[in-house]
Amino acid sequence: MLDTLHSPVETVAASPQRYKRVVYWIFAVGIAGLFAGIAFDQPLAGTIIYLAGTWLGSGLAAVLPRVSEATLIDERDRAVHRRASGLAVNVTAVVVITVVPALYALSAAEIVTITQTMWGGIWAISAFFLLWGGCLFYVDRFQ
Amino acid sequence: MDTNLPKRRAANDLSQEALADAVGVTRQTINAIERDRYDPSLELAFELADYFDCRIEDLFEPPVDDE
Repeated sequence: MLDTLHSPVETVAASPQRYKRVVYWIFAVGIAGLFAGIAFDQPLAGTIIYLAGTWLGSGLAAVLPRVSEATLIDERDRAVHRRASGLAVNVTAVVVITVVPALYALSAAEIVTITQTMWGGIWAISAFFLLWGGCLFYVDRFQ
Repeated sequence: MDTNLPKRRAANDLSQEALADAVGVTRQTINAIERDRYDPSLELAFELADYFDCRIEDLFEPPVDDE
């Protein structure tokens, strides 16, 4: 199947380490491009680099394991991703459970004011955990 | 989980890469199993046992419970 692909792609798809390194670097360049665009007052250019990096990185991450004859992702990678995702959710939950009620209490006591930005963050995190609950239900029932 | 995978591999003159190719995982996964940093799925354990023509218990030993 790789016969139809260009040589650089074949090279990347030949080894799991190279595949991961290239995909992570493409993401990193995209994200760095976004921040550079913001820092140098070129938000459009930064956004284009960011979009190019994330789309290319995501595309390669999704397509290469399917077209490569080498095993690029296996059960251990998936297990690592699951554990990392679980850890990230747990850390976020601990931070939210610790910080948000304290913010409400301090706000009620008129010691701090919850700004619009903070409300935005609280709503975003709430939406995230709502999504997580939906995913948990779906995986528990249907997968 | 203790494993004698390195000994089995050595007895068959097999590299981690070759074993990984044979059972459809990456070399890093075989390495992680051998270094007791990853417990394989039941499916992979069966694949490995099938490859070496032995039972799973011949390849892996569960951790000893002190209690």
